[in-house]
Amino acid sequence: MNTSDSEEDSYNERSALVQCESPTIPSYNQDHDMSLPQETDSKQRRSVSSGLDEPGPVEQERAATPEGEEEELTLKYGAKHVIMLFIPVTLCMVVVVATIKSVSFYSEKTSQRLIYTPFEEDPNSVGQRLLNSFLNTIVMISVIVFMTIILVVLYKYRCYKFIHGWLILSSLMLLFWFSFMYLGEVFKTYNVAMDYPTLAMIIWNFGVVGMICIHWKGPLQLQQAYLIIISALMALIFIKYLPEWSAWVILGAISIYDLIAVLSPKGPLRMLVETAQERNEPIFPALIYSSAMVWMVGMADSSNPNSADQRQRNEGGALAQEGVESEDDAALGGRRRFSAEEDLEEDRGVKLGLGDFIFYSVLVGKAAANGGDWNTTLACFVAILIGLCLTLLLLAIFKKALPALPISITFGLVFYFSTDNLVRPFMDSLAAHQYYI
Amino acid sequence: MNLERIPNEEKLSLCRRYYLGGFAFLPFLWLVNVLWFFREAFLKPTYTEQPQIKSYVKKSAVGLTVWVAVLTTWITIFQHFRAQWGEVGDYLSFTIPLGTA
Repeated sequence: MNTSDSEEDSYNERSALVQCESPTIPSYNQDHDMSLPQETDSKQRRSVSSGLDEPGPVEQERAATPEGEEEELTLKYGAKHVIMLFIPVTLCMVVVVATIKSVSFYSEKTSQRLIYTPFEEDPNSVGQRLLNSFLNTIVMISVIVFMTIILVVLYKYRCYKFIHGWLILSSLMLLFWFSFMYLGEVFKTYNVAMDYPTLAMIIWNFGVVGMICIHWKGPLQLQQAYLIIISALMALIFIKYLPEWSAWVILGAISIYDLIAVLSPKGPLRMLVETAQERNEPIFPALIYSSAMVWMVGMADSSNPNSADQRQRNEGGALAQEGVESEDDAALGGRRRFSAEEDLEEDRGVKLGLGDFIFYSVLVGKAAANGGDWNTTLACFVAILIGLCLTLLLLAIFKKALPALPISITFGLVFYFSTDNLVRPFMDSLAAHQYYI
Repeated sequence: MNLERIPNEEKLSLCRRYYLGGFAFLPFLWLVNVLWFFREAFLKPTYTEQPQIKSYVKKSAVGLTVWVAVLTTWITIFQHFRAQWGEVGDYLSFTIPLGTA
């Protein structure tokens, strides 16, 4: 199947690490989302970046609390957030690696390529192959940039309906078509007979409940599970359909693009983030993974209620529109300010863009697919988690939207190539000579 | 979304919508309904809307059981008789295992 645009929908990099804040905690905002690449008929990419920066109101509150206590709380909550993100990222990677190892379909290379990587990689000539992979990368990145800009323009001119329709089409494609493919391959691998009626029921239920959970209201854990699953599906598609060398170059290029788009003043994602902040709106749901924690935090003193209310209001406005994510809790928390000032609960969630999930999993999946050595796979896995930790640390320090891809992908790439080329032959020859260290 | 945070009327409306949605051949939706609202319906202290939520959860559970029974029966029949059905079996099959009759 000459895959269509479906996969390439939007590489908007969004890694949003956003937290709803309690009065004493500064909010962590990190937005860098990758929207799911899905497209049914056109090669449009949605760039979605969600940036929820709340440095302003947060700063006011911080003045109210003693510095040392705040630092401590910051670090404590930061650590919790790291753990909260480790689990879904790990799950996604585990699903991808397990599938790659067991279902051979996803590691078989076909001659079909995505329309976004038109140059064929000729295995015979190194120079040609390298050149073609760079050209593929250029094509891919330019499509991504183009899509991001379109999305920013659409967002600026408030074409919300269009964007929502696009998102819904994309998730439809992922939830139905890709899961259908995936199930088919899994059944073939395990040599199981499956009939059409049962299959139709399974796909129908999976898809519809997924749409409901992601785009409307559903239990938080189920929504998180669905987001992890669709990230894994997307990553598997990439692993299958991106040519070998192009995939690595694309990973590197995407991290650089991520860095530029989120941090530079004219970057499209940053503009998107800022526009969203100005309007106090959340960035599109269904493209961010959010985890929610509930803290019982005492309202420190009566001098805080105004700032706390304002912060809650900001969070409420900014965080909950679709009611899908945990930010909804914050919005409800905001609404509750009218009812009880002694309301102690604050939902704090960390948000990470789905694109980050996808590319992390692509990296680890490719490490697993090439050569099948567990050393390499584990090394990449650890590298990505370390990168994620560092990114979260930076988020805690800078408290603004940060790209989540660069550090992790850099570490991942470094670890992959060094493990593959240095550690593996070393371990092999150690084992061959029966020399244990 | 956190059920703790929304008012009771909304909980009722959500439960009701999930219940009604399950009639569109969606037993999974009923399952989600039962699991999600179980605590609300049975383990929480009584509030005004609770009896209705309870009834929806119970009805969803009944519907879910019916569907599970139907599906289990069909799957058993299919897996057992697929080979014997010949052409019809193949027509119904999405994947046909290799190496068996």
